[in-house]
Amino acid sequence: MRSGLGARDPGLGTREVVVDARAVSRVFAMPAGPVTAVKDVTLQVRGGDHVAVRGPSGCGKSTLLHMLGCVETPSSGTLLFDGQDVGGLSDARRSLLRLNQIGFVFQRFFLLPMLTASENIELPMSEAGLAKAKRRARARELLEYVGLAARADHRPSQLSGGEMQRVAIARALANGPRLLLADEPTGELDESTGAQIASLLDRVNQGGTALVIVTHDPALADRAARVLMMRDGRIESEQAQ
Amino acid sequence: MNAVGFAWRSLVRQPARATLGIVGVAAVGALLFDMLLLSRGLIVSMQDLLDRGGWDIRVSAGELPVDSRFIPNALDAAQVIAALPSVEAALVIREAEAQVDRISGPPLRASFQGVTTRSSTSVGSALRAPWTIMRGRDAEQPNEVVVDTDVASSAGLEPGSQITMRASCLSDLEALPVTRLQVVGIAEFPFESTSENTIGGTFDALQAACGGNIGAGANLILVRSTGDPDAATAAIRASQPGLRAATNTEVLGQVQRTGFTYFRQISSVLTTVTVSFAVLLITVLLTVSVNQRLGEIAALRALGFSRTRVVKDVLAESALTVGIGGLLSLPLGLLLASGLDRILKGMPGIPAALHFFVFEPQALVVHVALLVATALIAALYPMRIVSRLPIAATLRSEVMG
Repeated sequence: MRSGLGARDPGLGTREVVVDARAVSRVFAMPAGPVTAVKDVTLQVRGGDHVAVRGPSGCGKSTLLHMLGCVETPSSGTLLFDGQDVGGLSDARRSLLRLNQIGFVFQRFFLLPMLTASENIELPMSEAGLAKAKRRARARELLEYVGLAARADHRPSQLSGGEMQRVAIARALANGPRLLLADEPTGELDESTGAQIASLLDRVNQGGTALVIVTHDPALADRAARVLMMRDGRIESEQAQ
Repeated sequence: MNAVGFAWRSLVRQPARATLGIVGVAAVGALLFDMLLLSRGLIVSMQDLLDRGGWDIRVSAGELPVDSRFIPNALDAAQVIAALPSVEAALVIREAEAQVDRISGPPLRASFQGVTTRSSTSVGSALRAPWTIMRGRDAEQPNEVVVDTDVASSAGLEPGSQITMRASCLSDLEALPVTRLQVVGIAEFPFESTSENTIGGTFDALQAACGGNIGAGANLILVRSTGDPDAATAAIRASQPGLRAATNTEVLGQVQRTGFTYFRQISSVLTTVTVSFAVLLITVLLTVSVNQRLGEIAALRALGFSRTRVVKDVLAESALTVGIGGLLSLPLGLLLASGLDRILKGMPGIPAALHFFVFEPQALVVHVALLVATALIAALYPMRIVSRLPIAATLRSEVMG
């Protein structure tokens, strides 16, 4: 795990390529025949990048995100994460890669309801084998970072939607990932709360962590340095802001 | 948080479902435990009854363990047997029907067991009668008897009381004089059934009660070997070819082949049924639990939890449910066994001291092993679900849902 909070050090070689997708496609076998969700996408995400992926529903945004996050492997093409060919990695190696290098934020938070906010944040650190005292201390720091220090012992059912998403972001940052992937992180939130989450994600990105957000929300996308427009599984356009 | 801690939290999260699983396992486990106690209980208990008193060989005129034929010239036969080098002592048992007078109510029907003096050979150690003294002392004189607790309570007898009885040694039509004997002890007769009443005394006491008309026959000769019952039995067979001699182990084997086989078969069938039921119960509960948490499990996998880890979580949840239920099943099983034992012992002809359910460490080991197997087998299907969970598709469908 790296030092800092969400908080990678922006001065430390953050521009190196984190994930490199070279002509990747993803085809799903369906009863009615194969469906190509992502077609021939080439994309590089470097340290400190802030990328938004937009497009109509079903255009392959989430599938691309899952491939960048090493959850899915490409059906064709090459996906390199930190120079490693993800397609050649075993499930266990990809799990380890996700655990240590990648953070996920989901639309529905997926916090575990039987654990407190602090325990939810500790989970990935526990899986990474961090000692209990260090996990506790880091979870406390992360809760402070997302502005929820006072809610450490609250269960998800005792938190608002925005608070749950902040805990989920803290959980995603637990092992100091190089890449943070967010799939519709404001999809379940009202405009004001969504803006707070967007600001928090900006802050994480400013700390040096590469950020890729899939969103329908133009306001959230406008905060990104690069906006990719997808249609029918392809990147239709890329706009730098 | 390790897999066990995580599983514990998952159980606590759904207290109703967890309770259902634990109670189900406790109930099924109690039955399973009882079936294991039953499968060997009769054997262990019968062995205990046979071994009581230290007599390791039985000699009779017919098939052992039960035959109503008399051993002719039993006293002479016992004398010859007792003189064998591999035999330490022999004890002749003769039974007669008796009626004990009561202050109120009709006379009490009882069986009178007369045994030869427990020093038929020149052994150094005292020989014990085939009954156990509970209160008072053993009968040693021709005017002394011991009675079982039922006779004592029905006729209001205590050690020191006088008993008036008529014994019928050769024929029911005999009209014998009343005999007065002194009760010197209350005893437990190992092979006596709950519906029987028994009195014990010396052979001379029985002789006196029967008006000296006892004859030379006897029902059974108990023999104590010098340490090698097989050799002693072979020697007895050689010296008394007209009699049947068997070691306690052989008698037990015979009983096992005839009477107890049914209980073992019933026990095996019910054990299989209960284990299958436990497996189904836990499988269903775990599968429901896992299916309700697919989104969370997929999220954890996306966050880097390995396939092994999420499988371990499910296994730990199964182990916890079965473990807690299994622990509860032990006292529950013992309680149930005690009730069932009472009911089964009510069957006619069953010795009151015989137990159908007997605790043995081996039964506990098998119980634990079966529960471990249950936890493992029950978790197989839900473990398969989480191990094959498509992360991306599950996350997508959870959002769509």
